[in-house]
Amino acid sequence: MIKSSLSKNNSEVVLELRDIFKTYTSGNTTFNALDGVSLKIKKGEFVSITGPSGSGKSTLMHIVGLLDNPTSGQVLLEGRDISKLKEEQLAKIRNVTLGFVFQQFNLLAKTSSLENVMLPLLYSDVPKNKRESLALEMLAKVGLIDKLKNTPAQLSGGQQQRVAIARALVNDPKIILADEPTGNLDSKSGKDVMELFHQLNRKEGRNIVLVTHDMDLAKEADRIIIIKDGKIEMKNLKSKF
Amino acid sequence: MFKPSLDDLIKSSVRSILKNKGRTILTSLGIIIGVTSVILLTSIGNGLKGYISDQFESLGSNTIFIAPGKIFDDKGGFNSSSGPSSRFISTTFSQSDVADLKRALRGSTIVPMSIGIVNIKSSKTTKTNVTIVGSTYQYASSANYQPSTGNGRSFTKEEEDKKSDVIVLGYSLANDLFPSGSALNKKIVVKSKNMKIIGILDKKGGSFGGPDVDQYAFTPLGNVFDFNGTQNINQILIKTPSKDLVPQVKIEAKNAMLKKFNKDAFTVFDSSQLLSSINTIIGTLTVALAGIAAISLVVGGIGIMNIMLVTVSERTREIGLRKAIGAYPNAILIQFLIEAIILSSIGGFIGVLLGSLGALAINNFFPARVTISSILIAFGVSALVGIIFGVAPARRASRLSPIEALRYE
Repeated sequence: MIKSSLSKNNSEVVLELRDIFKTYTSGNTTFNALDGVSLKIKKGEFVSITGPSGSGKSTLMHIVGLLDNPTSGQVLLEGRDISKLKEEQLAKIRNVTLGFVFQQFNLLAKTSSLENVMLPLLYSDVPKNKRESLALEMLAKVGLIDKLKNTPAQLSGGQQQRVAIARALVNDPKIILADEPTGNLDSKSGKDVMELFHQLNRKEGRNIVLVTHDMDLAKEADRIIIIKDGKIEMKNLKSKF
Repeated sequence: MFKPSLDDLIKSSVRSILKNKGRTILTSLGIIIGVTSVILLTSIGNGLKGYISDQFESLGSNTIFIAPGKIFDDKGGFNSSSGPSSRFISTTFSQSDVADLKRALRGSTIVPMSIGIVNIKSSKTTKTNVTIVGSTYQYASSANYQPSTGNGRSFTKEEEDKKSDVIVLGYSLANDLFPSGSALNKKIVVKSKNMKIIGILDKKGGSFGGPDVDQYAFTPLGNVFDFNGTQNINQILIKTPSKDLVPQVKIEAKNAMLKKFNKDAFTVFDSSQLLSSINTIIGTLTVALAGIAAISLVVGGIGIMNIMLVTVSERTREIGLRKAIGAYPNAILIQFLIEAIILSSIGGFIGVLLGSLGALAINNFFPARVTISSILIAFGVSALVGIIFGVAPARRASRLSPIEALRYE
């Protein structure tokens, strides 16, 4: 464990970004995908990040999801500075603290729902004999217990995304990061998925970070962060929900 | 430790390999062919060694030979500078040499051999250039050339002393001279001398380019002296009372011979010495042939590397996903490495199976022996090929950036 140099003076803050820059250099030109972004996400919050395409919201998502390192600035997860951690340590945090939901679902083909949900447990400390029951519990939570043997090809888009959500939940993460989770779904399935996120947020107190370009979806969150040209334009817009 | 356990990794590798059965077999084909040929060639080499050992065994381990020329070089291999054939002609031994040896080596049986080339005529046909071995009555028991029951007998001391017109034929020579009916007790003409066939030897089998004993004829020493017109002795066989005496008798025989001959004019050797020289040659040949076959293992390995690189790019999104949900780089590396090893081991396993079955089939007409060590080596090498050629694709997979990988279409 790396000793945090910063005191946990605000235990309510789960995730904090401090003056994050992400700079891409190509030849002589440099481009700031993120241009000094700072934000805090409190425990139990449902936050959406929105903005036009190319605004930097995906880059922001990757940095929040510990999939990418900022060029400068600090990322604090539960008060712990993780920007200098090694790949192995980041992998462990991604495994136990974060749950990812993608636009493309990213389920393993020709692999049953149950096994897809169990996948993160392969890299966790959860003992083998508990893995299957945990995965079954998650499938039940997303309402797909009767589809546990089906492969992705045998499921509808909405069902596939629910399997992906079950997979994101299986390691009991504090934060769920969803990147355009309804982008490939019809409106009915999209609504179901959003309803699932609300339940997870309200009943289980999980943090949800939803990245979307769809303002109507973004408004369903407790708080909207609008990003444009790598800068946060508005971060405390309270949506009424 | 948050590493996936080895059995989890193997399970998931096996699963992804089984998703592409056709590709798996095609990819393993190179390894299958390589391992099969390595197993086949080493089996043939081992079979040959075993066969020759058995042949020498039948001669008995208490046999010493004295032959003209320098047969072995100083390292124990065959002397290549002067072929034995040229020395056969240049040096010969005489009856007095045999008498000296008999005096020097009391207790051992000394059997002189004189070799001639004759034409043999039967009532049906004529065989030209037949090798005829003249020797004493003790030759048959010393060299283990005795007709089995029902096929006559070998000649006696009395017949030897009287130079009787008796002859013993090798198995196929007898068949050639008398294609129908038994040759036993028939008369034949050997170089204008009428002789009676008193025995026919059992089939011994040729020894791969060496002399084919089945085509030999055997008769008392004096007869061959007459055929050749000289009293030359070409080879002397010494039978010691026991195996333990072989080294001592060899030295005594050598010393006795050195009194009359230059040290390069003759060679005293025993069957184990000859055997070890032959085994050295066969061993070298086997290794060389197996080495050539092993080249196909390398080609097979390149095939595996190729398909693993394809697999890595096909599964880029999967790799990205695994990384996003907590797989650290080495977990990915090991996963793909294990897949490569399993692919090549499947090839190795099938190759061992095919090679062993092939060796069993070959054994029907050519000696072939599959040994555990050749199976283990072939299987080990194929697994090693998997590791060597699996590393590059696995490293590529483990170094993929998760964002790039997830974006990959």
